[in-house]
This record gives sequence, C-alpha cells and structure tokens, in this order.
Amino acid sequence: MTRIQIWLNLSGLGVLIALLGFTYWLHTGPRAVPGLITQLHDEDTTEQILAAQWLAKLGPDAKPALPSLIDLALRGPDQEVSAAAATAIRMLNLQVARDVVAGYLPALWDADPAVRRKACVVLGSLGPVAKPAVASLITMLDDTDELVREHAVGALGTIGIPQTEIVAALTKALRDSASVVRYRAAAQFAFHIPVTATSLPTLMELRNDPDKSVASLAEVAFEHAHRTDRRDVSNLVSLLERPGEKDYALQQLALLGPEAADAAPVLIPVLKDHLALNRYLAAEALRAIGPAAEEAVAALIAALHDPDPIVVESAAEALEAIGTPEALKAIATRRKGTAS
Amino acid sequence: MTDEPSPTRPTGLIFSLYWGSILINLTFPWGLLAIFEISAHRRTAGEAFEHLSLHFFAPGYHYFLVGVLSAAPFAAWAVFLLFHLGWNDRLESAQRSRRMAGMLGSLLLMLGVNFWAHLSALMYPDAQDALVYFFLPYVLIVLIPLGYGIGRVLLRFAKVIRPDDGEPA
Repeated sequence: MTRIQIWLNLSGLGVLIALLGFTYWLHTGPRAVPGLITQLHDEDTTEQILAAQWLAKLGPDAKPALPSLIDLALRGPDQEVSAAAATAIRMLNLQVARDVVAGYLPALWDADPAVRRKACVVLGSLGPVAKPAVASLITMLDDTDELVREHAVGALGTIGIPQTEIVAALTKALRDSASVVRYRAAAQFAFHIPVTATSLPTLMELRNDPDKSVASLAEVAFEHAHRTDRRDVSNLVSLLERPGEKDYALQQLALLGPEAADAAPVLIPVLKDHLALNRYLAAEALRAIGPAAEEAVAALIAALHDPDPIVVESAAEALEAIGTPEALKAIATRRKGTAS
Repeated sequence: MTDEPSPTRPTGLIFSLYWGSILINLTFPWGLLAIFEISAHRRTAGEAFEHLSLHFFAPGYHYFLVGVLSAAPFAAWAVFLLFHLGWNDRLESAQRSRRMAGMLGSLLLMLGVNFWAHLSALMYPDAQDALVYFFLPYVLIVLIPLGYGIGRVLLRFAKVIRPDDGEPA
C-alpha cells in the first residue's frame, strides 16, 4: 500500500465524518422545524405525535409551528394527537396554552361523553398551565360517565395546583363507585401528588378495597405518605440543573408547598429563565411556599414586568401569598397601574 | 528478513477491511432495528423502514447517532489497521501474518460484543438503553488491544499445533 493510498483512505474517512456531521446538523435544531410542520399534517397519528413531541423539545425555536399545533390541539380528531400538540404549545407560548384551555372548557359540558373525555385529556396534557380549568374539572368528578371521571382525575393529578383543591378533589375520587376512578385517584397519590393529612384516612380505608389493584396502589400511596422530607427537596433542586427535568422538578416543588421552603433561593434565578413555562412554574412554586419565600420578593417584583402575562399573573399571586408589606405594596401599585 | 517490499501485500484486503468495518458497523444498528421491528413488532419491511426513518433524528431515539456511535470505534480500528499493515512496505510475510491475526482478533471480538450489546438493548429495553449506546464505544476501544493480543496468541497456538505450516511463529 502506498503512502498516497493511505492518505486518500484517511481523507475519505474525513469526508464521511463531515458528511455525517452535516446530515445531523441539517436534521436537528431549528432546521428540523419545516419538516416537522409538514409531519404534523400527516395522516399517520404516530408521525403527528412524534412531530409534536419533537417540537416541544425544541422550545422557542419551534415557534413557526405554533399555528399548526393550535389547529391540532383544538381541532385534531385524535385525542392523543391533540394532547401531544397541547403539551408542545405550553413549551412555546403560555398565553396560547391558556387559549387552548379556554377553547376546551365548553367541551367539558358537551352531551357526547367522548368529547368530554377528550377535553379532560387535553386539559391534563397542559399541566399546571391549565390551572384555570381546575374548578371545572372538579365538577367533572360528578359526571355520569365513569371514563370522564377517570380522565378528570388524571387531568387534576397532572395539573397539580392549587394543591389544596386538587387534593380534596382526588380524595373524594378515592371513594368513587367505579374502581377505575378509584385506581386512577390512588395512582395520583402513589406517584404524583404528595399525600396530606386530609387524604390519609381515606387511603387507609382504601387499603381494604375489594379491587386488589386499587388496594395495592393505596398501600403504595400510604407508604409514600411521609416522603416529603428535606431529602426530596434537595433531590428536586438537583434536578433543576438538568435541562430536560427542570419543568418536572419545578412542578414537584410547587406540589410540595411550604415544605419546599429550602428550595426558595434556587427558584429565584429560574424567574429569569429563557423558557416562559419555567418562569411560570418557579413563580407557582414560590406561591406555594408562601411566607417562607420572603427572600424572593424582589425577584418576584421584577417578574411583574415579565413579557409573558401569565408569568406576571403568577408572580402577583406569589407576592400575595408571601404577603410581606413590600410584596403587598408592589401588588397595590400594579393594580393601580392596571386600573388607570 | 528482507528489505524488499513483499509482492503479496494485501492492499485489497486492507482496503476492504478498512471501509467494510466502518460502513457495516455504521449501518448495522439500523439493519438490526429494522429486523427487530419486522420480527418482534410484526411490521412489514416498508413499515419497519418508515419507523426507522421517522425516529432517525427524533429526540429520545436518535437512531442516527446510535449508528455513528457504533461505527466510531471501528473507525479507530480501521485507522490502526491502515497504519499497522499498510504503512511499512518492508514487512515480511510472517510479520504481516502476525499483525493481520492480531487485527482480525480485535475485529472479531469487537463485532461480537457490538452485536451482543445492540441485540440486548433491543430485547431487554429499559431506561438505561441510552447508556449502553453511550458507553459501548469506550468498551470497544478497550477491546482493540485485548483482541489484538488474543489474535496473535491464537496464531502462535495454531503454529504450535501445526508447526509444518512453513512460517515461523
């Protein structure tokens, strides 16, 4: 083998590596958005869901896909596709996500149970952003269709805030006549929602449920009853460092309420995060912590000038919950400004 | 030993091994995934191909990167092969045989471990799948010298049990 042949082969390998790198660059990041928008209009639901999930991961870069996502979320025939589109929307624009909430609220009263089920699923997929739908979803726990009740329980569990109302509603669902609803409610306490003193007696009773799967889930939830200790908070704080886990950690901290007080200093810089969803969730977590988050008052006052109105609304609620004179003065000034 | 270049230098073989090991291992995970989709998930070949192309760059799947990561240690092996067997024109036949045995030993070991790791990741999927794909290249790189040694030992063993082969051990 001559030296030239060796260098030619090495150059060939270099060209191959460059080609592979270019192919990867071409199909990832913002450059993938046009192809994904086309994919959203595909007839195959798997392709549509995958495209929506991908766009959600891209974050603000995927904003050109917003009209297609709104169309799918509000008018998509498949409930899973609409839910995936709604999940992507909340990563891109909170105000639009709230518009989707408003668009689905009337559907909760539709005569067709399938429409009501879909509304519950899509509202749940929006997570804590769908907070304004909580009151309506709680009324769905009295729906005649057991699957609507089950989906409403699932949606309430994913929304998670405000914690007091959600825990009360889910505790009520633990006593539902349908085992499928009791199972879903027990699963929320077992894996998502912290068990509180109000839900504990019902969970204890549910350990003797005639449906064994419900009883075993209640047992798991009961075992997790005292999991909200300092170690959990520190675990969630460490998750904040991981880009893909940030929104989950923030949501969980919001669910912990005052017990997440140790996390308050770490939540302050998140109020300036580039993603509106994270800023919103940080404000919600601080609201849930309440007076113990006093050191975040200055950052929350600054958040009253956030470009996203949903973040502003949440920051104002957090200031009200913290309730220091400085916080209340800032809210009063803002109200005067809004009124004038 | 002679200073003359050997007239039987396996240029063609080196060339085939160089490009074959890179390209086969780049496409091997994709082929295995397609076969797995056809056999385990009862898809047609067309559906399997569509599934593959759909998830090629998708977050959480990154089949493209799986192929690239699979090929990376074989590219390192191929460059080693190029210099180890192709650079020196004055290698005598016995020396070349020993080197070739070492290179083939490491290639076979790497191929075996690569196949087993990819198949295991598909057959027993769990949350740690991505870690397999991430750490596999490092494991395969470590196997290069190990397999090389095994290959040369096996050749020496073959010479011991077949001493009349005509080439010194």
